[in-house]
Amino acid sequence: MTDAYDVSGALPGGDLDELPAGTNIVVVGPSMSGKQALALELLAAGYEDGDGILCISTESAEKVYTDLERHVDSLDRDRVGIVDTSGGDGTDLLDATIESISSPGDLTGISVSMAKLFRHFEDRGVSDIRYGLISISTLLQYLDSSKVFRFLHVYTKRIEETGGLGIYTLSNDSHDQQVVNTITGQFDGVIELRDTDSGEMEFRVRGLGRRPTAWEPF
Amino acid sequence: MTDQEQPVVLIAEDEQTIAEGYELWLSDQYEVRLTADGQEALDAVDDTVDVVLLDRMMPELSGEQVLREIRERAIDCRVAMVTAVEPDFDVVEMGFDAYITKPPERQELLDTIQQLLDRAGVDDAFQQYHSLMARRGALQAQKTEAELEQSEVYQDLLDRIESQRTEVDDNLGNMGAEVDFVSAVREVEDGDSGFDDVELGEGENFEDADTGDFETSEGSDD
Repeated sequence: MTDAYDVSGALPGGDLDELPAGTNIVVVGPSMSGKQALALELLAAGYEDGDGILCISTESAEKVYTDLERHVDSLDRDRVGIVDTSGGDGTDLLDATIESISSPGDLTGISVSMAKLFRHFEDRGVSDIRYGLISISTLLQYLDSSKVFRFLHVYTKRIEETGGLGIYTLSNDSHDQQVVNTITGQFDGVIELRDTDSGEMEFRVRGLGRRPTAWEPF
Repeated sequence: MTDQEQPVVLIAEDEQTIAEGYELWLSDQYEVRLTADGQEALDAVDDTVDVVLLDRMMPELSGEQVLREIRERAIDCRVAMVTAVEPDFDVVEMGFDAYITKPPERQELLDTIQQLLDRAGVDDAFQQYHSLMARRGALQAQKTEAELEQSEVYQDLLDRIESQRTEVDDNLGNMGAEVDFVSAVREVEDGDSGFDDVELGEGENFEDADTGDFETSEGSDD
């Protein structure tokens, strides 16, 4: 099992090269700011080196799969698992192992699927796993914020104790600022994205036991 | 603690000597109800029961069938499977909250029951924790990082958050184990999530934040 996950190249500059095993980090920004692409990049960054990808998606597995393919050359079903909570018909994709859940509100179903995919990876000797949860914003549409908060606590704890890397996305323009703060407070680190007046994207990194970085072009 | 306040453990075990052995171990701390098969267990289980110990292999109704019925009836109790066969992932999928391999050690049985009772209490611990975290979220929205760093109220809040988080985690148990993880999520999903506007209800403690009393506010206690 690894001590740290390589994430170099996901963000410009050398601010974020690797993250210790057990880290949970959330990508926060306005809608359409590229949060999901960055999250997928972080998920995919260790794939060539043998890391597994286990992604809980509130969109269809096909969508995640197609998006992941932009970051990874060829997917392998032994190392890519998707928990599809979109309620779709659960089409099995050739190169990924899919678990289908009828609704993002079925938290127990999500946790059983996640544990099942974990076992699937374990049986194949894949012990370094990057977990995606895309997106927290959609969970907040199905469940009250208190339930989402509690679920995320249990879920991040699970990743911490199994030495995984957890990557999450959350919009900050569709929820109350305090709800966003309360939820992001549960993570070890936050990558914030923002639009500038000139239409460029910027990012900064908070948490992870360091001083916050300045806003930099993304 | 009076007898009425003892947690209730319902045991479904068809071998009488084994059942009586459990009772001997448990009756100091718990109110024990013995049933001899799955149907008896279903007749006896209700919301007063805190933990059910279900033998996996019983004549007529199996432990799995009894569990399914308990879940269908939405009875608020935690269910541990007692099994002679080392269980596979199916125990997790079936929805058991724990498993105990047969024959259990006394301490193992007591520890498992205690963990399930602790997890049943996580709702209250979570409510406190969420409330403190929401308070922090509100302060972060109102104040700059530099102001927060200078604030005793805020530092005190961080300490309380840390100790409350420890309590939540103790109640949850070992999240590295699949059966405990799924059981904890079930507890969250089925549990009473309390008032959702917890964020707004806690406002009195930092109402003064804008008036400059923030650093010296003594209103940090509940």
